[in-house]
Amino acid sequence: MNAPVGLYQYQTADREFLASRIAEFEGQVARRLSGDLTEDEFKPLRLMNGLYLQLHAYMLRVAIPYGVLDSRQMRKLAHIARRYDRDYGHFTTRQNIQFNWIKLEETPEILRQLADVDMHAIQTSGNCIRNVTCDQFAGAAADELMDPRVHAEILRQWSTLHPEFTFLPRKFKIAISGSPQDRVAARFHDIGILARPGENGPLFRIFVGGGLGRTPLVGHELFDSVPEADLLMTLEAVLRVYNAYGRRDNIYKARIKILVQALGIEGYREAVRHELSRMDPSHYRLAPEVVAAIRARFAAPDLTASPDADAVLRRDRQANPAFDRWVRSNTLPHFAPGRIAVTVSIKPAGGIPGDATSDQLDRLADLADQFSFGELRITHLQNVVLAHVAQDRLYALWQVLNEIGLGDANNELIGDIVACPGLDYCALANARSIPIAQKLSARFADNALQEEIGKLRINISGCINACGHHHVGHIGLLGVDKRGEEFFQITLGGRDDDKSRTGDILGAALPEDDMVDAIARIVDRYLSVRERGEQFLDTLSRLGDAPFKEAAYETV
Amino acid sequence: MKRAIRIAAGEALVLTANRLLDGHIVWRDAEGAWNRSIAHAAILAPDTYESALDSATQSAQADGVVGVYEVVVRPGTIAEPVSVRERIRAFGPTVHPQFATELDA
Repeated sequence: MNAPVGLYQYQTADREFLASRIAEFEGQVARRLSGDLTEDEFKPLRLMNGLYLQLHAYMLRVAIPYGVLDSRQMRKLAHIARRYDRDYGHFTTRQNIQFNWIKLEETPEILRQLADVDMHAIQTSGNCIRNVTCDQFAGAAADELMDPRVHAEILRQWSTLHPEFTFLPRKFKIAISGSPQDRVAARFHDIGILARPGENGPLFRIFVGGGLGRTPLVGHELFDSVPEADLLMTLEAVLRVYNAYGRRDNIYKARIKILVQALGIEGYREAVRHELSRMDPSHYRLAPEVVAAIRARFAAPDLTASPDADAVLRRDRQANPAFDRWVRSNTLPHFAPGRIAVTVSIKPAGGIPGDATSDQLDRLADLADQFSFGELRITHLQNVVLAHVAQDRLYALWQVLNEIGLGDANNELIGDIVACPGLDYCALANARSIPIAQKLSARFADNALQEEIGKLRINISGCINACGHHHVGHIGLLGVDKRGEEFFQITLGGRDDDKSRTGDILGAALPEDDMVDAIARIVDRYLSVRERGEQFLDTLSRLGDAPFKEAAYETV
Repeated sequence: MKRAIRIAAGEALVLTANRLLDGHIVWRDAEGAWNRSIAHAAILAPDTYESALDSATQSAQADGVVGVYEVVVRPGTIAEPVSVRERIRAFGPTVHPQFATELDA
């Protein structure tokens, strides 16, 4: 088999386990269809295999461990979209993909198809440790201190089917990054991990108790420098404390953030230390040879580039201003000379954030093969990354992206909207997220205007569960139901980076029909009052929200 | 425990569920059969719908449906659900017009 780079290679045991798990689920489906299992009995079983019953149909959420997949896996996702769904898939804010029109009786066959390419849908639902997320530029970014993928894989193996943590009080989300720039929203996870190299091996800064949803809280630093050998033992202790003391009587107070809030970070740290004192370090020690064995199952790409690659890119940029703009917004410096990391926007003007057709998925797989060693990453902002593109081939890549409608220059700009599926698909939602996102991205379609506006991220959630991460949007929109009609609450000033904070509510919720104009007025006001060199958050910080509140509600 | 229903003058009820096999939304007609289109839904009065709901719930497995519940509608040529949520269930996702539910199905 041609091993794609940057992707952990399954072993025989992994594949045998998946086969047995699918056979088990196939039996459960048969028993459900025959009536031997009631819906109440079947529901937790299907959820353990990533199958939800949503508004219009079953939805299958497929895990993409730490957001990395290879071209054959992407082609398989395209095949599933084409053969079993309605010709598209939806990338999620947890670096996964969802299919919205799945048939129950076809699900075991779909899972078999996924297993053919070492994929599954396990732990994409339920009160367990969910898919571990990771920096989308892992192993590529010039600013990276340490490649987090090896430890993300260790966390995947540790957390998969962990017998003690399969029935936690509530779901549990972990993110890991090895960059000083927090690109994984570490402080908004149940556990966020920032890895860095130390004198005697990797060190891990661990945050705990962050989260969004009904009670948005910024995580607290639990430990600053956990050595590699103690990483799993420490995480095990954190989860044991949560498993023992987390609330199970109230679903809205069951996340670890509520327990950390109740105990205080000092109290939680003390409880973790007490748990650690009862554990046998030799049993949990993460040995260097184990780490080395896992690292060996990742192939390393040959990142050698043409000596004049950067000169070719400079020439191409000078020759084409639109390409130059796209390079400014959608690329990140690579640590290897002559290489560059690319964010492919899955946010075309007027499009649905994160939706890609089966043809686009196939073409992305082709582009991965042609330009990035057959490897792709899904970002928690619902885009796709090709991490290792040769600079002298970047222009050719951009041309193809434009041909398939994915060439927008809007990364981290106002068109790069994050939105949950909302009421159009989700059984929990109060309001539709996608139409607002479509109207806003159409309103600000001009890439030059987006660049002029600068960094401004809009996040939209259709309900308080906050799958669209509205709390951390520079502008956040939360859908609320008022007597069966859709209204949206605006928050300003949220961010999920090193200066993480949740946005502040601007005022009363506005009707859905007024939202796009209200946001446009906020942006217009920002452009009229900002000072040279300011981004939206800078202006907001300098002036407070009063001018924006006045703009948003001026016609109300 | 039955949910409290907020129903205004001139409004009525219909019964809905998801099909077990594919999860698609269905509506219960006057003969007790489940249809893809709300256009075939039996219109029920607020004071009499409960027996229909009980009957539909009891036969859900045999009928191949899950999650039976009532929806408040404004009766008409085609019953129109009062809430946005139920209108989207009845007529399809607003963001994919090609997936709109065929009302004469």
